[in-house]
This record gives sequence, C-alpha cells and structure tokens, in this order.
Amino acid sequence: MLELSNIKKSYGEDGSRVEVLKDISLSVGKGEFVVLLGPSGSGKSTLLNIIGGIDTADSGNIRIRDKNMSDMDEKALTSYRREHLGYIFQMYNLIPNLTVRENIEVGAYLSKNPLDIDEIISTLGLWEHQNKIPSQLSGGQQQRCSIGRAIVKNPDILLCDEPTGALDYNTSKEILALIEEVNHKYGNTVIMVTHNDAIKNMADFVVKLRDGVIRKSYRNEEKVSAADLDW
Amino acid sequence: MRNPLNKRLLRDLKSDIGKYIVIMMLLILSIGFVSGFLVAGNSMLKAYADSFEKYNIEDGNFRTEAELTQVQREAIEKQKVTVYDNFYVEKDFDNDTKIRIYADRKEIDKVCLMEGKIPQNKQEIAIDRMYADNNGLTVGDELTIVDKSGKENGTVFKITGLVALSDYSALFYSNNDMMFDSDSFGVGIVSAEGFEELSDGNVFYNYSYKFKESPADDAEEKEKSDELMEEISRITDLENYIPGYLNQAIKFTGDDMGSDKTMMEVLLYIIIIIMAFVFGITINNTIHKEATVIGTLRASGYSEGELIRHYMEMPLFVTLIAALIGNILGYTAFKELCVTMYYGSYSLPTYVTVWNGEAFLKTTIIPIIIMVVVTYYTLRKKLSLSPLSLLRRDLSGKKQKKAIGLKKSIKFFDRFRIRVLLQNRSSYITMFVGLFFANVLLFFGMMLPPLLVHFQDTVTENMLANYTYTLQIPAGVLDEEDELSAMFSYIFLQSKIETNNKDAEKFSAYSLKTIGGDGSRIEDVTIYGIADNSSYIKADFDEKTVLISSAYADKYELAPGDVITLKEPYEDKYYGFKVTGIYQYDGGITVFMSQSHLNKVLGFDEEFFAGYFSDTEITDIEQKYIGTVVDKDSLTRVSRQLMISMGSMMYMVDGFSMIMFMVLIYLLSKLIIERNAGAISMVKILGYKKGEIARLYIIPTAIVVVLSLLISYPLISVIMVRIFRIMLKQMMSGWLIIWLDPKVYAEMFVMAIITYAVVAFIEYRKIGKIPMSEALKNVE
Repeated sequence: MLELSNIKKSYGEDGSRVEVLKDISLSVGKGEFVVLLGPSGSGKSTLLNIIGGIDTADSGNIRIRDKNMSDMDEKALTSYRREHLGYIFQMYNLIPNLTVRENIEVGAYLSKNPLDIDEIISTLGLWEHQNKIPSQLSGGQQQRCSIGRAIVKNPDILLCDEPTGALDYNTSKEILALIEEVNHKYGNTVIMVTHNDAIKNMADFVVKLRDGVIRKSYRNEEKVSAADLDW
Repeated sequence: MRNPLNKRLLRDLKSDIGKYIVIMMLLILSIGFVSGFLVAGNSMLKAYADSFEKYNIEDGNFRTEAELTQVQREAIEKQKVTVYDNFYVEKDFDNDTKIRIYADRKEIDKVCLMEGKIPQNKQEIAIDRMYADNNGLTVGDELTIVDKSGKENGTVFKITGLVALSDYSALFYSNNDMMFDSDSFGVGIVSAEGFEELSDGNVFYNYSYKFKESPADDAEEKEKSDELMEEISRITDLENYIPGYLNQAIKFTGDDMGSDKTMMEVLLYIIIIIMAFVFGITINNTIHKEATVIGTLRASGYSEGELIRHYMEMPLFVTLIAALIGNILGYTAFKELCVTMYYGSYSLPTYVTVWNGEAFLKTTIIPIIIMVVVTYYTLRKKLSLSPLSLLRRDLSGKKQKKAIGLKKSIKFFDRFRIRVLLQNRSSYITMFVGLFFANVLLFFGMMLPPLLVHFQDTVTENMLANYTYTLQIPAGVLDEEDELSAMFSYIFLQSKIETNNKDAEKFSAYSLKTIGGDGSRIEDVTIYGIADNSSYIKADFDEKTVLISSAYADKYELAPGDVITLKEPYEDKYYGFKVTGIYQYDGGITVFMSQSHLNKVLGFDEEFFAGYFSDTEITDIEQKYIGTVVDKDSLTRVSRQLMISMGSMMYMVDGFSMIMFMVLIYLLSKLIIERNAGAISMVKILGYKKGEIARLYIIPTAIVVVLSLLISYPLISVIMVRIFRIMLKQMMSGWLIIWLDPKVYAEMFVMAIITYAVVAFIEYRKIGKIPMSEALKNVE
C-alpha cells in the first residue's frame, strides 16, 4: 500500500540547518492503523506531511499503490490527495459559514464515489447538529465534523495529525473510538501522529520516532480498543 | 454534485455586509457617476450635432448698417447662398441683464421650445432656458425693459416659454469674447408683432445665410466664406461678419464638451487604479482570514484552480451587481444629474438618451477586467503557496529570518508599535498608495474653486486699464484689393470712432493665432501696439521690444529670448517674434509692442489704431463700432462661468473622494485589526485593557495615515500642477494662474483626520468585541 524508503528532510540553511528526518524507511499495509509516536520535534508531523504530499522530502522515495510520489508534479500531487487521502488536523479548520452537513459535503465533492453523507453524519453522532455552523459546536463535535469531511470521500489513507491534541480526555477517547470505527467499517489505512503514548495500544503498527530517526517499530500482537485506553 | 463551497457566497455577503456595501457603493458611484457623465455627454453631443440639421442652423451671419435692399439681397444670393432676415434688438432689463431679442424664427436657426409656449402676443417673450435658470426666472414671470440709466421704460414682458436658440448653444455676447456669459446676457424671441414694437430705430440688421451647396470640408467652407465676405462688403457696408465655423456661440459647445470628457477620463483612470487597490486589499484580507481553511482544502485535494475560482466568485459577484446598479443609475439618476450640469453650462436643445458603448466599455467592462486580473493575480500568488504554508499562515512566501533588532532603551509600547508597523508594512504601503490616489482626487475637487477665486482677484488687480475698448472695424476697411474704397471707408469711419474722453489712449491691435502642437488648443493672441509714453502700459518700447503677458509666459512656459510663432487666422502666413520681456498681465494671452512696430510688421497705416485704453467709460462712440470691452466683468467671465459649470461637479468629486478615502482607511484598518485578532485576544487574556490595546494596534495606523498625508501633499501638488496645466491647456483659451491655496491643505488634512477618527472609533469598538477565545482557536 505505502512504501517509504530512505526519506531525508532538513530545514534551514548551512549553519542553522536542522535534519528533521534521517533516513526513514517503513512499509504500511492496506487497512492498517498506524501510530507515529514521538515527542515534539521528533519529525513525526513532517513525515506525515511528506506522506500527504503537502511537504517534500529532500531525498528518498515514497511509493503509494505502485506509484512513485517523486515523479508527481504539483497537479499530480493534488490528484493524489484528492483521490487517495483524507486529512484530519489538530485544529479543525472547518469553513465557518457552512453547516456541519455542508462541511462534510465539501469533502464529498472531491470524490467520484463518496460515502453516504447521512450515514456518516449518524456514525459521527452529529445527526442533531447537522444544520449547525461550527461556532455552535463544541471542540469534539467540530473534530467529528472534520473527520466526516475527511472520510466521506472514502480515502485509501486517512492522515491524522494530533487529532486529539486540543481535546479533553473523554472527548479524545470518543474521537479515537470514532477513527477506530471508521477504520473497521470502511477499511481505510489510518496513519495517526501523536505524542500521547497511550494511543499506541490501539494501533496495528507503532513507529516510535525521536530526533528524526525511527527508534523502534513494531506490530501490536493484541490491540486495545479506544474505549479501553487510559492515560 | 455542485461545489458546496458555492453555498458560502450569500452567507459571506451577509456576514461581511458592511465591507461589501462599502465596496459596492464605491463601484456603484464610480460606474454610475462616470457612465452618467459619459452617457449624458454623448446624448447631449448628439442632440447638439443633430441640431444643425434639425433646426437648420446657419452657415454664417453678417450685419449691415442699413437694411438690405431687394437688389442687394439678390446680388448676395447670386453667390449661391440663401439669405434670411435674423434681425435683433438688444434691451437692458430690470434684473441688470441684457437680452438680445429676435423675432420668432421659422426658417433658419429654429427655436427649440423647452417649456411653456412660443409668444403669440406683443407683450410676451420666450427666453433662453439657461439664462432663465441663472437668473431665477420661470414661465409666468415678468421682465421690464430699462433704459441706459436703469430707469424702467414701462415695457413689461411676460415670459411664456423657455427656449434654446439653436445658434446660441453658448451664450456669447460677442464672438470676440473669451468666454460666454449666461449670467448677464441672454437671448429670447418675441412675436413678429412684438418685435415690430421693439424696433424703434435700434434694430441690428443681422442676416443669416446658408450655402446652397454645403462645403465639403473646413478648407472649402473657409474659402467660400471669405469669398462671400468680400462680395457682401462690395455690395453693402458690413458691420459684422461671422462665418459659422468661427461662430463661438455655435461652435464652442461642441469643442468644450469634448474637453470635459478628457477631465472625466483622467478621473476615471484614478478611480480604476484605486479600485484595483481595493480589490487587491480585500482579497488579501480574505486569504489571510481563511489561510488555514484553504490549507486544509488544498491538503484534502482541492486544486489551486478550484479555490481560485471559488474566491473569485464573491468579488465578481459584487462587481457585477455593482456594475448593473451603477449602469442603471448611470442611465437614470446620474445621467439626469450630469444633464443638469450640461444644461447649467450650455444652452442646449432637448435631448434623447442614447446608448453609449464607449461609456460601457470604460466604466464597466474595463473595471471588471481589472478586477478579474488583480483578483486572479493576488489569488494566484497566495494560493500557489504550499498547503503547509497556508496551514501555518505563512503567507509571505518567505520566512522572516530573524527579528529586526530594536534598542531596549525604546519604551516597550513604542517597540510593540514598531513591531506592528513592521509586521503590516505591506498593508501600510498599500494604504499609502491608496490614500495618495484618493488625495489626488480630493485635491482635484478642492483646489479648483479657490484657484478660480484667486484668478478673479489677481486679474482684476492688474488690469491694463479699467476699460479696454476694441473697435469693430467694418470689413471694407481692410479690403486689400480695393484700396480706394477702403480709404473712403476708413475716412468715414474715423469720424465715428474718435472720442473726447481725456483718459482715452489709442492703441493698435491685431489678433493672430497660436500654432498649437503642444497639446493646447489653437487660440487667439491679441497683439497690442502701445502708444509712446503710454500712461497705461508702463514699459519702455523700442523697435525690437516684444513683451508677452505673464499669462502667456505661464501657459506656454516662455521666457525672454524665446521665439513665438503666430499665424494669420485661416491663412498660411506666419509671424515670428523674439520675446524680450514679460509684462505682468494675467487677463489674457497677449503680446505688447510699440504701436509703430505693430503697424509696420502687420502692414497697417502709420495712423492705424484699433481701440482705446481708458480708466473711465467712453460714452461718445456708438455701440456698434465697439467690438469688445475688456473690463472687470469681462475679465472674470471665464472664471465665473467655470465656477457655474464646474461648481456642482467639484462638489461631487469632493464627496466621491471623501468616500473613497474612507473606504480605503476602513478596509485597511479592518485588515490590520483582523489580522491581529489572535494577538489582540491574547493580550486581552494577559490583562491589557481595551485602551491599551487600541494604543498598540490603532496608533501605528494613525501614524501611517498622518505620515501618508504629509508625504503625499507635496507630491500631489507637483502632480496636480502638471495635471491642471495639461487640463486647462486643453480645455480653455486664455489662461488661469495655477495657484494652490495653502488653506486647502489644512482643510484636507482636517477632513482626513476626522475621517480616520471615525474609522478608528469603529475599529476601537471592534477591538472590544474580539473574544478572548480567539487566541485559543487560531494557531499562528
């Protein structure tokens, strides 16, 4: 599904150059739930952004569904994101003057075969709120909406950048449960960036990063459901 | 599936209605006002052009001392012209004005009835509509004739109608006048019976003529007219001869309306530049506000093109709506307003509104194209940033490498404000440029009226004499081909044009024309030949002295040593004069030399003279031998008429530029506050009070506004002097001293500061409304 080999990335110039990713290679299978774990500055978000095609690697190669990302120009990258990726950020970035349903439609518009919007709204527990605008929702509800926007186009890969970073404990668990449910129900590959160590337990595959290097990666023999997580 | 982003359009409009109303108003006013002006101008110009055929306007007219006999008339008509009686009398009225009264015209120079009815009885009169407007007269009012001493002679006329005489679209009393005077001079018609009663020996035997075969071009018209003049002067004693193409009362309007258009177009270009700025600013503002949303959409797979199209919808929508309303207003209310302006300047016949493709192109299509280009360019530049830059709100495209060092000795608040200034420098530069253009417009509107007043004051202070009389020389006197007849005529004339007034001093004069070519119109230059030891013109003249008036020097930027080339009107004969000095006289484009010098150069008799300077009124020369009188009244006629015809427009320009000014400051201040909403919210959380926050975020803008004003004034002054110069050169004969009233700078500054204070107050309230949660929502 997704193959990363020898990814390197640095920022800054000459003297102040910082290597953010140092020779990262990993392989992710279809439908897998992957957690990229690491402290601030470990390079996990940069790695996610490179996978998402919104940042570029200095060297190395990414293959997705047998296509080489380094061969893609801006237009091809846009199509790649459009057809294969869903994005969830820590900040929800919803369009303030569109309702919940309409924000989800913004995602649906990008797909030739979007999922049923009603079903998604129900799954996300937003049925009663579907006609509200973002400012009328709590943080958790807004994040659900942004998940809806990302998954409605039924992407092959769902990229989540600290999706619970701005949420409280209970809401975070609800959101994680939702992503888990989406992963089960629609079979999307999920790659989630987090610094919350507890979340690793719900993943199929855990990649621990520090200082731009994979310190450890392993597959969970026994996963813990999101509901049972504790931190 | 339709793009769900489209659903935002109306909601965006509603949520930011204040901003869009302001932009729409700006567009509606610009499009409406300028298209109204152009549509009105075009319609009026068409009415004017059509009037030649519709009202059978003459090809020329002449005046004879005595009524033509049948034999004389037939002799003249052999020259392939039809001659029509167009007699008139001139009467002074109890409202201190003079009306030239004709009998109703049925064949030539027909009358356009604008209101009321044509006079039927002898006590009825129909007067020129513009003269009536300027003197507050309407149908039903009465006018009483007064004699020279101002006593009523008992003849009372009832005004039955307001009319436009097709041969008086500009109310020139004399064809030699620099400017018409619709305040104190008017024309009117009475019934044939009424005319007979008025013609108690004071009739001016004026005849209009029409060529049986219309001349093909100007050259042929001139040739035919010259031949006709020679022929008529052989047949009878000509008192006056004005071929149609030289008749200012007929031609001035057509020429002048074109020059107004130039001014309006200059205005339009300034407006378009400002509009482009406004669009650029607005779209920039939107992108700043929505950077993270745009970043998310781009990361989700929305293409740059899709988002550009989406963000172009609103400005396009606003522009199209404004263009629609602007054009509707342009063809209705604004057109009416401008038509009123035209009717305030010219005595035009009734008009029909005509579609003006050029106006539509210039006021609507071009601004829309500019809007599309500017918006597209701005969007393209910003949306080509990577999704990541947008998500991080890093919109400058390049990261600031390090903070600019500020000394610790600078107070904290000052350092903070400097940071705000640096952070928003691109907005502030935009603000400066925008304010600069708005100021250009304001300056334009505010400087002209004091300039005219100053001209009036100056010109009346340095008159050549209280009265400068130019005599009307009958054509026969100058007949080069028949010298004998000319001599007799001259001897006869001399007895009529001598005065006993002791103040009177003879001068000779001749009128030549400039040769144009530097963007100015071709105009008359009066050359005065001054008597030795003149008590009016204080200068030493020898055979080489050629002084030009200060107005001449100023208008054509001439200095002693320069050579001026002048041309005999309608002949291929040129004169070159080397300027030896400048004579302080602002009342006209004139040249001074000694009388003998002038008479020699132009081949006149040594004794030849053309008029009198006099500090007291000359009363012993018959009116008909006096061509023009330059006195205080006539010298200020140009400025007075400009004041009447341009006054209302200047107020509109002022109002318009103030709105423009406000819009720019409002939009830019709003942008800066909105861009800093997160930071403002954060300092609120920290415990800063509203007043303190205002000092941090509003004062930098105030500083920029004040600096922009102070820097732009001297720049604008230089530019405006150039613009006024070009404009006045194109627009008018003669010259107005370009004088910038220092008071206007102060007024403009105060107005700008008040405007800013209003905007600052709105922004101050806005700061209060920024919630503290804002800081938590947005990540910079």
